[in-house]
Amino acid sequence: MSYRLQRMPVAAPSVLFSARVLSVILALLTAAAVLALSGKDPIALGGKVLSSTFGSRFGLEDLGLLFSPLLYCGLAVAVGLRIGAWNIGAEGQFNLGAFAATGVALFVPGPAWLLVPLMALAGMAGGALWILIPTLAKAYADVSELITTLLMNFVALLLVYWVATGPWLDPSGMALATTARLSVSVPYVWGIVHWGLPVALMLAVGLAVMFAYTRWGYEVRIGGANPGAAAYAGMPVQRHLILVMLMSGAIAGLGGMMEVAGTVGRLQGGISNNYGYLGIMVAVLARAAPLGVIATAFFMAVILNGGIVLQSQGLTTHTVLAITGLILFYAAIADEVARYKLIPTTGKVTPKGAR
Amino acid sequence: MHEDSIQQRLGLAPGTPPLVALKGVSKYFPGVIANEDVDLAVYPGEIHALLGENGAGKSTLMNVLTGIYHMDAGEIIMDGESRRFASPIDAIAAGIGMVHQHFKLVKAFTVAENIHLGWDATPARISRKALEERTMNLADTLGLAVKPGAIVADLSTGEQQRVEILRVLARDAKVLILDEPTAVLTPSEARDLFAALRAFVARGNAVIFISHKLDEVMEISNRVSILRAGRKIATEWTSDCSETSLAQLMVGREIVLNDMRGDGGARKIGAPMVTLEGVTLKSEYGTVLKNVSLSVRAGEILGIAGVAGNGQRELTYVLSGLVAPSKGTVTLDGEDIGRAGARVFAQKGVGHIPEDRLYAGMAPTLSITDNAVLREYALPPLSNGPWYAPRRALALAREIARIAGVMVPDFAMPARNLSGGNQQRLVARREMRIADKVLIAAYPSRGLDVGAINTMMRYFVEMRDSGVAVVLISEELEEVLNLADRIAVMFHGEIMGVVPAQGADIEQIGLMMGGQRQQGQAA
Ligand SMILES: Nc1ncnc2c1ncn2[C@@H]1O[C@H](COP(=O)(O)OP(=O)(O)OP(=O)(O)O)[C@@H](O)[C@H]1O
Ligand SMILES: [Mg+2]
Repeated sequence: MSYRLQRMPVAAPSVLFSARVLSVILALLTAAAVLALSGKDPIALGGKVLSSTFGSRFGLEDLGLLFSPLLYCGLAVAVGLRIGAWNIGAEGQFNLGAFAATGVALFVPGPAWLLVPLMALAGMAGGALWILIPTLAKAYADVSELITTLLMNFVALLLVYWVATGPWLDPSGMALATTARLSVSVPYVWGIVHWGLPVALMLAVGLAVMFAYTRWGYEVRIGGANPGAAAYAGMPVQRHLILVMLMSGAIAGLGGMMEVAGTVGRLQGGISNNYGYLGIMVAVLARAAPLGVIATAFFMAVILNGGIVLQSQGLTTHTVLAITGLILFYAAIADEVARYKLIPTTGKVTPKGAR
Repeated sequence: MHEDSIQQRLGLAPGTPPLVALKGVSKYFPGVIANEDVDLAVYPGEIHALLGENGAGKSTLMNVLTGIYHMDAGEIIMDGESRRFASPIDAIAAGIGMVHQHFKLVKAFTVAENIHLGWDATPARISRKALEERTMNLADTLGLAVKPGAIVADLSTGEQQRVEILRVLARDAKVLILDEPTAVLTPSEARDLFAALRAFVARGNAVIFISHKLDEVMEISNRVSILRAGRKIATEWTSDCSETSLAQLMVGREIVLNDMRGDGGARKIGAPMVTLEGVTLKSEYGTVLKNVSLSVRAGEILGIAGVAGNGQRELTYVLSGLVAPSKGTVTLDGEDIGRAGARVFAQKGVGHIPEDRLYAGMAPTLSITDNAVLREYALPPLSNGPWYAPRRALALAREIARIAGVMVPDFAMPARNLSGGNQQRLVARREMRIADKVLIAAYPSRGLDVGAINTMMRYFVEMRDSGVAVVLISEELEEVLNLADRIAVMFHGEIMGVVPAQGADIEQIGLMMGGQRQQGQAA
């Protein structure tokens, strides 16, 4: 009896999950093979990654600090996807959020209990502002948000570089390319992990509830799946699109605020650290489900943290990026492969799945 | 039916093998037996009709044959060999091509480009002119007139279907499968299609023809196979059957196709429920509705006749609040609400069975529950303030599916997994539930089996009797004549005239459909 591959219209969730797990293992094996070829000991390195990530409190705290911005950016992209919009600009909105929050911290006097919430608001407003033009262009002129949101990233990145090295440069003369240390910060919850993480987790749960248990969530679902049907039912499709995209920007902006006011403490160029782009992968791997984002963002944080450990072991950034890319590449293949089924080409098959 | 007699009656040499035969084919979906142990043989020169109720498994069987689904048991035999197709590309390479009810053409491309798309016989480098010439030649040899240079989006439905068929035939198909091809055609387009099909099978090919229109099946097919709940019940010579016997075979019991209008003059027609006054609508295509004045009264069914594309769709949009007229007023039960929007219309009791359910009436990728509650999600008990209760939505979806007669194994399944007719049943029931005042039904029987059409028409009559104003748009003049009290005829966005259905002069209606204004009626 011979076998042949057949592509199925949909993949069963259990198959999909196994394929995902398998893809991660395969990617790690490939990475190990490459490392072994270049003269490293992959088992020792792998052990080192695991022990320094999960083996100590410091490792876990570091993990938490990576987890949080990935959550914000992943949620931002996932929210956009809900209404069918690709927010490629979380990177820029994250920067703008950090920028706006820093502005408040530097120039608005006041007690910390007032300033921190104010900075959070400013961060959200900054992120939302940064997606405003792409949003209006999409809603009213049908301009693809894919390109506009991407282009805004470069502007935001340069803006932050410029203020951090120019007008807002640390006046003490101690730093060359950052602002002064902010006078207020997001309070810590656990070691160096600040409130940014629990807030992001609550946000994920809150969004999941909103999408599943509110009328608004239902309308967004319909509008994202088929705008024609939403219009037919008299839903304000355009208003939802605008609101959801602005929300997406605001979430990324809040992530930037938490990063500058919680993790880094001062504004500097490149503060976004590619979190915005990684957020796209986080959201896609989670299939735009907010609770799924918690899992995929955590996974991504482990990979990033592993990368940092590897770098401390003498691997170049490029190698680390290549391994990260590999895992995602395999995951994408797994999603596709999960749709295939091995079936015999001759002979009768006993029916199953039906009585 | 003895083998030899089949060849004999089809005028084939004794022992001629079928072009393709299915043996013991079964296909299961979770909780559904879509096909079980189906045998089907199609011989050269025959048009083989496939009949069955909604959800009987006709489309699934053909999807198995063309490699879209793989079967759980059974085999496909061609030239004495067992074959399996991994994809429609494999199937067409073996000479089996299918035209789906929802066309799969690239709308922004020309006809010639669509014909040659994804075809290895297309030269790698070819000028536009040469491409169009090739298309022209193909069209000539295959006897299907198309305009090679035209953009597909600009073509009528019938023309698009011709392009789809040409696409399949150009790839040397021996077996052409058509899934409800005439559901979207005008009668004259359907006649052209039939002529092309007869010419195709005369060349020694075969057609498998799925339709719910029994008169067409009687007219066009040589043999007919009937599926019921996934199993093949019978294969008969069409000439041995009648419409009644076919209908009976499909449902397994006698069905009474009663005369709908029934009660004659005893019924009381009330005050105007919805009135259009001088409605003009301009769109990117120009003026699509011109000074339309129309009134539908409570307890009345107004039929709209006319060749598709003469403003019927736009009329339904205005009547359901989807678009506001550029000029003129829409009055619902005495209240001017022309600009209030679709939601207000629905809340005030206007139901709308739309023309394109896949593009307007449903979100095919979302769950059956999400789709079933589209009209009532914002009302209690589904919504309470801003909160939405998915469990109550599920309960409502179950209820709608039950009264629509749709068997749903899993309400979380995407709605596109439902059979075409079951999607239509669900949408229709959902709309009838909210239509307290007006029901706008655009081609409501498209895709429904005879029994379902009968049930739906009975509900229309009941709604009418309870005082709802029903607007029925249909390309089946007979349907309109049977059901409507009055018939308005549309042409180029205008109402040519309104005539009482009882004793209507079909010839006069035909003239009005062609653009002649009703005698003695001022515009
Ligand atoms: N992809 C799928 N997943 C699950 N169930 C499916 C899928 N496709 C079809 N079905 C189910 O299989 C059954 C047969 O469907 P099919 O589309 O073949 O019916 P049909 O005879 O073509 O009906 P219609 O006349 O309404 O078009 C239906 O109950 C349908 O819900
Ligand atoms: Mg079908």
